Amino acid sequence: MKAHKKMWIIVGSLTIISILVYLFFWMVTSPYDLFPDDPIRAIRMREAILNILSRKGIQVLAMIVSAILISSTSLVFQTMTQNRILTPSLIGFDAIFITVQTAIVFLFTSSSIFYLNPYLNFLVATIMMLGVSLLMYRLILRNNRNNIVFLLLVGIILSTLSRSLASFLQTIMDPEEFQSLTIRTEVSISNMNTSIIWIAIPMMLIVLTALTKDLKTYDVMTLGEPQAIGLGVSYSKKMNLALVYIAIAMSVATAMIGPISFLGLIAVNAAREILKTYRHLPLLILSSLIGIIFLVLGQAIIIETGYLTTVTVLISMVGGAYMIYLVLKENRT
Amino acid sequence: MIELKHIRHAYGDFKVLDDVSLTIQEHKITALIGANGAGKSTLLGVVSRLLNPSQGEVFLDGIDMSTMKSKDIARHLAILKQTNQLNIRITIRDLVSFGRFPHSKGRLTKEDYLKIDEALVYMNIKDIEGKYLDELSGGQRQRAYIAMILAQDTKYIFLDEPLNNLDMRYAVEMMTILQKMVKDLGKTIVVVMHDINFAAAFSDHIIAMKDGKIVEEGSIDYMMDKKILDHIFDHDFCIAGVNGRKVCIYYNHQQAAELAERKEEVL
Repeated sequence: MKAHKKMWIIVGSLTIISILVYLFFWMVTSPYDLFPDDPIRAIRMREAILNILSRKGIQVLAMIVSAILISSTSLVFQTMTQNRILTPSLIGFDAIFITVQTAIVFLFTSSSIFYLNPYLNFLVATIMMLGVSLLMYRLILRNNRNNIVFLLLVGIILSTLSRSLASFLQTIMDPEEFQSLTIRTEVSISNMNTSIIWIAIPMMLIVLTALTKDLKTYDVMTLGEPQAIGLGVSYSKKMNLALVYIAIAMSVATAMIGPISFLGLIAVNAAREILKTYRHLPLLILSSLIGIIFLVLGQAIIIETGYLTTVTVLISMVGGAYMIYLVLKENRT
Repeated sequence: MIELKHIRHAYGDFKVLDDVSLTIQEHKITALIGANGAGKSTLLGVVSRLLNPSQGEVFLDGIDMSTMKSKDIARHLAILKQTNQLNIRITIRDLVSFGRFPHSKGRLTKEDYLKIDEALVYMNIKDIEGKYLDELSGGQRQRAYIAMILAQDTKYIFLDEPLNNLDMRYAVEMMTILQKMVKDLGKTIVVVMHDINFAAAFSDHIIAMKDGKIVEEGSIDYMMDKKILDHIFDHDFCIAGVNGRKVCIYYNHQQAAELAERKEEVL
């Protein structure tokens, strides 16, 4: 830890700077006079500023929560599957979430309580996600852990398949139903769904507490399955639990900011490169911070440049290139 | 005491273990030998609860192991598999500290540090404890793993081909250390091995497997027998005596065939 003191300070302050930039930078570039002399206009302006700040505050909160959830569960997912490249998003978790939402509307109609009530909707979607991910683990992940290229392929197929399935269901759906469905499926970072932020935060705290309790066990699990069992880890129990956390985290994150494929990959691998450790505690903290920086700072820049592109595209570009590099590196050794 | 009763294990239709019953002799090194695919590693996996057998029970000191918690078992028996292809960066000391996991759950106490130091000194790697695993030679790395097993402080130790990738010097050194562990620390060790001569030279008891069954079991003197070995490996062996120990020579098979061929040509 000591050797990295400087790095921690830099990353920590970068995180804070990102958040501040996102919250306040618009004031600098705003064409309006934010603090007019006229007292009546000043009051209105102050109201408007507070309004914008509170909206931006919730958005930042949603991004922080999502970044932490994506980064930390990507880290644990990599330990569980014994590789450095795959993340829950790459294997298709977020695509599954969209399909699950579509299936809910299709099965229960959009006027049903399962869809309209954000909490209930979230619960049902998470449970379905859980089922799918456990099934996926049993059928594919467990037996092909070492075959990264194969798993990536499965991820691509799974994402495409579930997207096609979703659009198929959307096609045969009643147009009005379809309209209301887009509220949930077309969520993205520029079109955040912050309505569930108040369950997202406790969910994040629950997942984080559960994960931190098991961090030492995850350290042992990096030795591989046989050795971990030999050292008394109830491997399959820990694995199933971790999948539950991952499914919850991916549901929360995807519901709020939509799918972001490469964020977890960038955050976790950057943290690994910097720290060069197997210990999960520092890795989890650093990858979460890096995730926040990428997401929040990225989005702030996108907004300031007048939405020339989206941060998702930006992250996909950096992350995609990085993944190609990782796959090539992995194959060489 | 560890006892296996009527263990059967199959992958699909293929029987890997076929009604194996066995009692592991205490305070001895037992060598598990047999041809490739005979079921040695599977048997080791079953004894050390890495694998759940399709049928049969394993008893650890009279208790059915399938009813025990994994972390309780880990205080009685330690296993080292041969897959040491780790892609994590970890120092020797940290690796050995993992051995204390079943006892301390990752929060190391004074006693744990003591055991870790003991294991490092015992395996003669205390002076390089800060080195990373990927900077080590094969022999040093294997010693680091054994030190981890030693720090686990268990009565039973199972090793799956610990001599793989070791040259003769390190292999002999490794086996000597295992012998010492049995003598000084009262361990019971089971080793899966390929080289029969290593088994004969360093173990106290040999179990031979073939096609998922235990075909022979006994002392070195009994097992180092042409008939028995020929049967186990389907091979033509030659047993010789060197310094009062039996040694087997196993590369005369092809030679004999060539000789026979040449004879035919001459005729």
